[in-house]
Amino acid sequence: MTATPGPPLRIVLADDAVLLREALAASLAAAGFDVVGQAGDVPELMRLVEVEPSDVLVLDVRMPPTHTTEGLEAARAIRLARPSLAILVLSQYIETRHAVDLLRESPSGVGYLLKDHVTRIADLADAVRRVAAGESVIDPEVVARLLGRPRTQTALDELTAREREILGLMAEGRSNQGIAEKLVLDPKTVEGHVTRIFSKLGLEPTSEDHRRVLAVLSFLKQE
Amino acid sequence: MTRQANLVLLAIGGTALAVITAFAPFLYAHPLRTPLNPIFAAAIFAGEMLWTAAMLAAFSRDPGGRMWKLIAASRVVAALGVIWVVNTSLTWTVWQLTIGVATVVFAHLVLAFPSGRLTDRGDRILITAAYGVLIVSRVGLALVWDPERADCFPRCQVNPFVMWPSDQLAWLFGPGVAALVPLLAIGVIAGLWRRWRRASPALRRTLLPVAVVAPLELGAASARSLASLNLEAWESIGVVLSTSPLAFLHAAIPAGFLTGILVARLARGSIADLAVELSHGVPIGALQPTLARALHDPTLELAFPSPSGVGYVDADGQPVDMPLAEDPTRGVARLEHDGELLAALIYDPAIEIEDPGRASAVASVARMALQNERLAAQVRAQLEDVRASRARIVEAADAERRRIERDLHDGAQQRLVALAMRLDQARSQVDGAGELIDATTDELMRAITEVRDLAHGLHPAILTERGLAAAVDSLAERAPIPVRATVTEQRLAPEAEVAAYFLVAETVTNAAKHAGASEVRITAAIDEGELAVTVTDDGHGGADPLKGTGLQGLLDRIVAVGGTLAIDSPPNGGTTVRARIPAGL
Repeated sequence: MTATPGPPLRIVLADDAVLLREALAASLAAAGFDVVGQAGDVPELMRLVEVEPSDVLVLDVRMPPTHTTEGLEAARAIRLARPSLAILVLSQYIETRHAVDLLRESPSGVGYLLKDHVTRIADLADAVRRVAAGESVIDPEVVARLLGRPRTQTALDELTAREREILGLMAEGRSNQGIAEKLVLDPKTVEGHVTRIFSKLGLEPTSEDHRRVLAVLSFLKQE
Repeated sequence: MTRQANLVLLAIGGTALAVITAFAPFLYAHPLRTPLNPIFAAAIFAGEMLWTAAMLAAFSRDPGGRMWKLIAASRVVAALGVIWVVNTSLTWTVWQLTIGVATVVFAHLVLAFPSGRLTDRGDRILITAAYGVLIVSRVGLALVWDPERADCFPRCQVNPFVMWPSDQLAWLFGPGVAALVPLLAIGVIAGLWRRWRRASPALRRTLLPVAVVAPLELGAASARSLASLNLEAWESIGVVLSTSPLAFLHAAIPAGFLTGILVARLARGSIADLAVELSHGVPIGALQPTLARALHDPTLELAFPSPSGVGYVDADGQPVDMPLAEDPTRGVARLEHDGELLAALIYDPAIEIEDPGRASAVASVARMALQNERLAAQVRAQLEDVRASRARIVEAADAERRRIERDLHDGAQQRLVALAMRLDQARSQVDGAGELIDATTDELMRAITEVRDLAHGLHPAILTERGLAAAVDSLAERAPIPVRATVTEQRLAPEAEVAAYFLVAETVTNAAKHAGASEVRITAAIDEGELAVTVTDDGHGGADPLKGTGLQGLLDRIVAVGGTLAIDSPPNGGTTVRARIPAGL
């Protein structure tokens, strides 16, 4: 994916680990984003979001004071106050429940990524751009865990290998276009696969990509 | 000498006296007197043997007491009553002088029953007066009575002690004083009545047989003494008493005493019952009524040293007044262990009179019970200490694990991730190092994964963040075999969540790794304030909680938080682990 022309995306960064935050800021700057503010705790983040015009918020799940899910809760609150601000949540651990909960509130323009997977500037930049564009971004490891989880009997057995692959990419928040690019397929072909997958899994077809992510993730989580 | 030897000696002595008393009169047949009736002699012998039995019973009940001595004295006096068969003036005179002694000793015996002591002041005055009159009259008689000048019976001898012969004085000291016997009898019966009214139910049971027979003997003695005013009457009374069924009075009287002593002994037997009852464990609160019952003393109090160190309290912590040492109305038995006062038994000292040694017997049984209770309480306290310290150890270990997890998260993990980012940034700035950077990044990512797994294994962050259901859900997603979990979404006390989580984690690992299970089912639900966790697998079973540290560690952890764990793992039958953990809601 190439950088979109126009002014650089403005980013607010929140993480209490200074070293990591600085590294993230450097990566984002190197990728051509404009890091307009950095916060080490939730009150500082709230103030920044209030005063700094920004496009994307990148923040850690775990923040002071209890170091549990302060970041996640802040993300939810900001989402309600400023639905237009895209949010990318970073986590040290993969918790599928966090990912699904995050999407459930409002699936558009949110992402949940394992910190391991933003160490590459290209991956980080891709994720930031996708959430900024209103897509949902779910860490491939979340999807892999949900898809690869041992099951006794499941509708997933009905899927072909290619269909499973496409289901995984849907779960990561990719659009048909994105999937087509990733797999080097014709978008029409991808569309056909998606329809078959939905019918095999007994899911309601949905045209909106971000609704599709939640539907697929919820299905995988329940199954 | 042993108690048994003493008993044998008393038995021999009693039997000898019985033989003398019953059969010595056969040695001399008085020409005027009615011939001796063998049935009457047999009745006397039976009576004397019963007296001996009563004496033995009294001795074995209280060897140091006076009762058996009084009985023995009365039997010696009875034997002296036949000393006249030895035909000397001295023996004959002694016999004359002992007339009436048996009646006074009997009166003493009745009023002193069952302890052998005269406890009532009126009784003491009566008996002392009776002995006084007896001694004065017998000494006086010895000095003034000249049998040659009077009618004599059954044989006449010379009184070797006579100094001032006087028929009038002799009559006064003899039959005249004997006429006082009915007064003595009335006094004794009145004394018995006074005691009966004051007696506890237990003492009444002891007194009853004596109270029944004593008036019979006293009545007979009164009749004899009144008859002694007239020789013919005396003789006919003697005939009536020795030939009619009344002869068996001789056996009935000691039978009453023997029964009374045995009843008192039976009451003592209930101390053994008390010991048995207390050995089953009696709560401190129930000890007082139990002891009161055993001691037949409803006024009994059990006082414990006050925890404050000042004064005494009862089992409910209410203050108890300790009676003064000189207080005659209350007795105190101190129950000590190694010189330390466990408790004090405050009782009515009257029970000591009824049954000497009973209070101390009850006290020693109570002391054992208290000591037991104390030991049990100590064990319980120690057990609670151990449980609490185990809980603290587990809690401290858990806190430490959480701290290390957080240190790793905030330190090493962040540093490693930041390092990986810096490395990626370096990629664009260094030419020709692409392969090296890739390889280093791979290594770094492996290190990040390892540290993350380590931190997660120490303490899963999701457990603190979202509770047991989310943590088990997460665990199930990562498990190598299918796991179906139904877990309450309710948040519990952190230690309960941690204990339940590690239980599930360990059992799921065991099921996949060791039991060869193909599926695990987990349920965790709140039931009566406890979290009931069940983990079932379809593996080959045969898990032994005592083998391997995994299950034992689980058990320790569950017990430390006050829970219980049961493992059912029949060979080839799968394994079911059930735990109940206080949810701390």
